[in-house]
This record gives sequence, C-alpha cells and structure tokens, in this order.
Amino acid sequence: MPAMQVEHVSRWYGNVVAVNDVSFALGSGVTGLLGPNGAGKTTLLHLLAGLLAPSAGTVRIGGRQAFRDPDVYSMVGLVPEREAVPDYLTGRRFVRANAELQAVADAPSAVDAAIATVELTDAADRPIRTYSKGMRQRIKLAAALVHEPRILLLDEPFNGLDPRQRLHMMDLLRRMASEGRAILFSSHILEEVERLAEAVLVVYAGRLAASGDFRSIRRLMIDRPHRFTIRSSDDRALGAALLSDPTVFAVDLADGRLAVQASDLGAFGRIVAPIARAAGIRLHELTPTDDTLESVFSYLVRR
Amino acid sequence: MRAFRAIVDVTLRALVGRRRTIAIALVAWLPVLLAILVRLGGGRPDPAEILDALVIGTICPLVALVVGTGAIGSEIDDGTLVFQLIKPVPRWLVALAKVVVAAAVTSLLIVPPVVLTGLFLGGFGPDAIQTTVGFAVAALSGGAAYASGFTALGALTGRALVVGLGYTLIWEGVLAGILEGVRFLSVRQATLGIAGVLTGEDLGSRPLGLALSVAILAIVAVGGVAFTAVRLDRFQLRSAD
Repeated sequence: MPAMQVEHVSRWYGNVVAVNDVSFALGSGVTGLLGPNGAGKTTLLHLLAGLLAPSAGTVRIGGRQAFRDPDVYSMVGLVPEREAVPDYLTGRRFVRANAELQAVADAPSAVDAAIATVELTDAADRPIRTYSKGMRQRIKLAAALVHEPRILLLDEPFNGLDPRQRLHMMDLLRRMASEGRAILFSSHILEEVERLAEAVLVVYAGRLAASGDFRSIRRLMIDRPHRFTIRSSDDRALGAALLSDPTVFAVDLADGRLAVQASDLGAFGRIVAPIARAAGIRLHELTPTDDTLESVFSYLVRR
Repeated sequence: MRAFRAIVDVTLRALVGRRRTIAIALVAWLPVLLAILVRLGGGRPDPAEILDALVIGTICPLVALVVGTGAIGSEIDDGTLVFQLIKPVPRWLVALAKVVVAAAVTSLLIVPPVVLTGLFLGGFGPDAIQTTVGFAVAALSGGAAYASGFTALGALTGRALVVGLGYTLIWEGVLAGILEGVRFLSVRQATLGIAGVLTGEDLGSRPLGLALSVAILAIVAVGGVAFTAVRLDRFQLRSAD
C-alpha cells in the first residue's frame, strides 16, 4: 500500500483552480515536489495533511482518507511553511506539547532527541520569539519528528536555512528516508530537489507536469527547444551559418536581433562560437530568453 | 488526558500572554475602582444595581468575548492552531479544552472584582454578603456560558469580536430588555435570573426562574463546545497557493 495516494484530485477556491486533476502514489524515499511559486505545491501538501478537503478525487495517507480523520496524524509529521509557531513558548515546551499530543511514550527523552537532531539543544529553553527564521524552521521540524512518523510532509523546508544547516537537513532527510520513511518536500529551487530527491513531482499551474525519476525529468528539461537572442556584427550571415547546424532548427530576424531556436542546450553552447568565428562574425551578446524555471515548467505541461 | 492537558497548557499560555487579555483584565477591575471612589465620596448606592448594570450587563460579556474569541479565533488567525489539529486527538477534545480554558480564565477575571465591588459597596452585613455571593455565582455561571458561546463564535468567523459586540450591545443590551420572547435567548437574562433568585433582589420586570436560567446557560455552554467541535472537525485552511 502506498504511503501517500492522490487520485484525480482537484481543489478549487471559487473560480480559481489551485490543483487540477492530479494523481500520484508515493512510497518510501525522498520525493521533491517542484514547481514555481503559486503552482499548487502548498495546496497539495495541505490536501495530503488533511488540512484541506479535495473538491474532487481522493487523498489517502497510509490507506486512510486524509481529511477528517485525526488518527492519520499518528503516522504523519507536517512542517508547514506559513503557519506560525507559537512564539510565546520555548522551543522545548513547543516540542514537548507536540509529543504529549502524539502520546509519545517517553516524552522527555523523545523531546531531547528531536531537539538534538535539529541541533537546537543550546537554544531549546529560549522563547521561540527570539529565534531566527532558520531556527523556527528547525524547531518545526523537531516538533514534526518527535513521534518518529513514517510519513513526513515538508513545505519549503530549506527556506531561511544557511548553507550549513541546509546540508545538515538534507543529510537528516536522506537518513530518515533510508530508514524506510516516505518524505515529500516542496521546493521552487531545482538544485535543492536535484541534490536530495530520488523522485520528483513537477507541478505547474495546478497540474502535474511530470513525475518519476529525477534524472529522466532533468533530461526532459534539458532536451527541449531553447530560445536565444543574439546580437552580432552580421546577424543575417550568422543566422544562415547557424541554420546549417542540425542543432539549430529555426532562426528569425526581428527588432534588430537574431532569434535562434536550438534543440540541445549543451550542443548549441559548443557550436555557436566556432561557427561565428569561422564566418568571421563578431558576437556581441548571447541571451537565453526562456531559461527561467517558469518556462521549463510551462514546456513540460505543454508536452 | 495528556492531550487535554497539553492543549489547556498551550491555550492558557497563549491567552495570558496576549495584550488584549491583559487590557480586558484591567477593564474587569473598573467596578472595584468605581466602588472605591463612590465610598470615598460618601455615597451608598445599591450594590445590586451597580453589579447588575456594570458587571453582568457589561464587564461579564466583554471579558468573555475577548477571552473566548482569543482561545481559538486568534489561533486560527495566526496559524498556531494547526499544530494542535495535526495530531491524533479527537477534535471534540480540542474544543472542550479550549472552552474550559476560556471559561476558567473568564471566571478568574470576573469573580474577584465582583466580590470586591460587592463588599466595598455593601459591606459585610448578611444581606450584603448574600447579594455579593449571589452575583459572584451568577457571574461565574454566566461568564462560563458566554465564554463557551464566544469560543464557538471565534471558531465560526474571523470577525467574532465585531459579531460578539453586536450581540452584546444590540441583542442583549436593547432587544432582550424590551421584547418578551428574546429574553429566553439571552445569556444576560439567564445570568440575572440566577442572580435574582440567589440574592432575593428584584432585577428586572419579569425575571427568568432559576431552573430555566440554569437550563439556558447549560445549553449555551454545552452548545458552544459542540459547535466548536463541529467546526474543528471540518476545519480547513483558508487558502494556500
């Protein structure tokens, strides 16, 4: 039985569709939920955490309906991004309250262990209001880990962490996944997902644009038409010369610039300078026009 | 029981630390200040009149409104409630813990000023003690019912303070005093019903009887817990991305 199962799930707010007919199933391991801001990542995580009811479809956690079944939370740990931590509590009291609510058998030891795991032992007895953003993020993680859940949902967990803490959290999540837990974390940063996730779900505009092994998704992202604009000493001659290479399949002269479409990002990067040099043309400017993550996601959805 | 205690603890700490609670706690002592000023000025007003108008009619619902909506509405607004809800704890238990805290804090803020105001104004004679105790018991029961109702209101709407003020000022302050049928839907009238029986004072033209008053307050108190539980059971975050 998959740890998380989402079947034809949609969620809308009035006329706005936040998640549109998404289906996937996840088992143990680390999965990255990748997409630009506003793509529907948080909505999906909230649906999985039972904090939103699907407008259509079903969401199951450990085989049980996620919404309106508090018992599922004994196997789930959630690290929300936006929800505030009660900053009037000390870090230790906050994690302790989570342990008590989870009916953890040896709460004091579990609390100490969870706080040590996120390296906050020294600051544990300070009020959370004195914490930095990264420390707040880590105390939320400690609270989510205190009952050793087998499913962990994290919304943008690396926000506010410094590079060392980021690496530490990545190691921690990898270790937890190796113990058989199912971990789903959202991010809008490709590199974060690349470094941590074995599998990836790409969401864009509420739709699941791609899912599966990260390397194959990465290949999809690279092997797509790439657009560039070029300014050179002779745009017309350069266009003709570039078109003779199989990597380039379209050129267009407009607004005093040469627009080029190439099929392979790496290959185009290797051929453009030699072709220009061979034709005696000086390159002034070469700009990728659609290299934003947004355009990558948009392409994946259109495929 | 551990879960109940944990929610009570977190809710209590949240409530006590809020500026709004501290401000309303100070307001709750205004009748005491007034009583002191009246006695220093040589006046001997009827304690029942002051306790009726100032405490039961004004301070009691205001304190319960601020505390009750703070017990859950503020936690919904700032998102801290989510940490209590994503736990394997029945939502009715969460609702009960919130209402118990709201009722206890409301009572704690209202009853001491009632007792002191009664004693300052009426002294220690048997009749005065009876009036003071009667109003203290009435404030305790009415405050608990108000707190439960306003906790439910906080779970229902983000504008609970405004709606609660409207209920207190318009429904209870004006309509319940002049419309016969509305009295049965008024926490204030039920609270006065209890105070009237316990003190033997004439409070209003047609006071409600003890049994009916107790029944009304019990229905509001239990209904508040039940309604809060239903709202929490169907709780959803307002919007995501």
